[in-house]
Amino acid sequence: MSDIPQGALSPRLTSAESAKVAKAAGLRQMGVRPNLLHYIHLVWNRRSFIWNLSASKAYTKNQGSYLGQAWNILRPTLDALVFIILFGFGFRAGRDGVANIAAFIVIGTFTFSFMQGLITSGVSSIRSNLSLVRSHQFPRAVVPLSVCMTDVVLFAQKLIAMLVIVFLCGFLPGMGHVPLTWTWLLTPVVAALSGIFAMGVGMFFARLGARTPDLANIVPFFLNLLRFASGVMFSISARISPANHDTWWARIIEYQPFAVYLNLMRACFGNDPNFQMSTLMWVLAVVYAVGFFVLGFIFFWGAEETYGRE
Amino acid sequence: MSDELDYDDELHPGEDLKEVKKKELGDLSVVVDDVHITYRVFGGKRGGTAGIKPSLVSRMLEAGRPKPPVTHVKAVRGVSFTARRGEAVAIVGHNGSGKSTLLRAVAGLLPPTSGTIYTASEPALLGVNAALMPKLTGERNIVVGGLALGLNYKEVQENVQNVADFAELGDFLYLPMNAYSSGMSSRLRFAISTITTPDILMIDEALGTGDAAFRAKSTERVEMVRENAGTIFFVSHSLAQVRKICTRALWLDQGKLVMDDDVEVVADAYEVFMRNRKKARSGGKVV
Repeated sequence: MSDIPQGALSPRLTSAESAKVAKAAGLRQMGVRPNLLHYIHLVWNRRSFIWNLSASKAYTKNQGSYLGQAWNILRPTLDALVFIILFGFGFRAGRDGVANIAAFIVIGTFTFSFMQGLITSGVSSIRSNLSLVRSHQFPRAVVPLSVCMTDVVLFAQKLIAMLVIVFLCGFLPGMGHVPLTWTWLLTPVVAALSGIFAMGVGMFFARLGARTPDLANIVPFFLNLLRFASGVMFSISARISPANHDTWWARIIEYQPFAVYLNLMRACFGNDPNFQMSTLMWVLAVVYAVGFFVLGFIFFWGAEETYGRE
Repeated sequence: MSDELDYDDELHPGEDLKEVKKKELGDLSVVVDDVHITYRVFGGKRGGTAGIKPSLVSRMLEAGRPKPPVTHVKAVRGVSFTARRGEAVAIVGHNGSGKSTLLRAVAGLLPPTSGTIYTASEPALLGVNAALMPKLTGERNIVVGGLALGLNYKEVQENVQNVADFAELGDFLYLPMNAYSSGMSSRLRFAISTITTPDILMIDEALGTGDAAFRAKSTERVEMVRENAGTIFFVSHSLAQVRKICTRALWLDQGKLVMDDDVEVVADAYEVFMRNRKKARSGGKVV
């Protein structure tokens, strides 16, 4: 190899000189994280981008099959059916005095899958949208937010499906009736709160997952563990013996965010005396939603300048 | 102020001879200081230096040792330069010399591993690599692309028809992009990325798309965007294009700056270098 000219370069500026020259000309340094308030403002300005991106992604998610968008509702319905057959009819012992085990499982599966989906899409959000991140300049929180919003948009349909299925479960032989009450109207509120909570967790993992792709494999494992620890398919509080009810670990199991949202969602249907709404539950639901979202957002912002780096 | 002009005279002697092509040199708009960019690549073999085949013995010795999962690829290694308003800077170099990576870093899209970049405003990258979603219709892609560029929803709506007309989509506007021909989708990418006219414009091989008629049209469009832009960075393999559009050129080789001078000077040197390289290669093959 020949001919690469040597020493053709005029002398370069030193770093100190560069900084001085840049400052004198009023240039801004690239890739510096804006302060938090300004960052929130920037993200807010991009709200229509977030919305359009998530709506578009929601639309593409179920494209490419004959039934198309219907799969959005059919898939969780089939999932719920498997659990109803398995736990509702198969293991009769697992009923724990629940009034309508089929409705119980359906509500549990739909609600938990919603939160689970939000968190898992958060983990891989930056990596799976790397080409977008690398071709346009925008506050990076747009990416996990819009990815999570996609799930929220899709859940709107699923929620309606859930209400219908739960109502139908009331007619199953040997299971308690599910009456229509005004509290059913609160289900979107619980869904929204659980969604905000899961989005916060998703943003937390979005930062970690951007640098460590392995998390996309680890997080689902822990979420599956949580699925069983949160009482999705069987009543977890009925499994704790009365003697242990006041221990610290029993309280954690009962008042951890996933359990709170699941219980609150069940309480909205008002068909089971074991699940009643309480002020404490509502307060916790709001606190978890706001707290986790704020913390997750701030944590994500903390590495703003590094997203897109390999 | 006079300080900076002194710097400029030092860095680019003879710049004043080129008044034909460019507007007057203005203030500094980009300062790049000792930028290094290292990619982390997952997977790949250890000690993968091409050409050196490990002997059987060393392969046996290494068989048990754990392989590092990550390889570090140094794409840009210590590049510094400054650019002013009114300059059109070409970045030349052969494939893999770090041109696009450097461009992306200056555009703020790829955070450098070390080093600092200062800019007067947020640069925009005009490229055929813009992220489009193949499952979406052209129309939705225009909307999402426009919003990604920072337009508001109303501005985007006003632009949808213009973009579609420019990209010559016709009825395909309402079909998902995976139904498009490759020419069609690259035309659309180009059209979307030229919606806005930024102050600092970066063009990454965007001028080679489509047939001859579209090339003429796109060159015209770039001219228009260029008129309004303060500083232009241009990556291309076509030296003719580089000579036509740019006033100055940076030559990158293996991530390092080799030459930074008037475009004719660099283009001539680069041409000689490439010709020799070609000769050496074809000679090697015949024998």
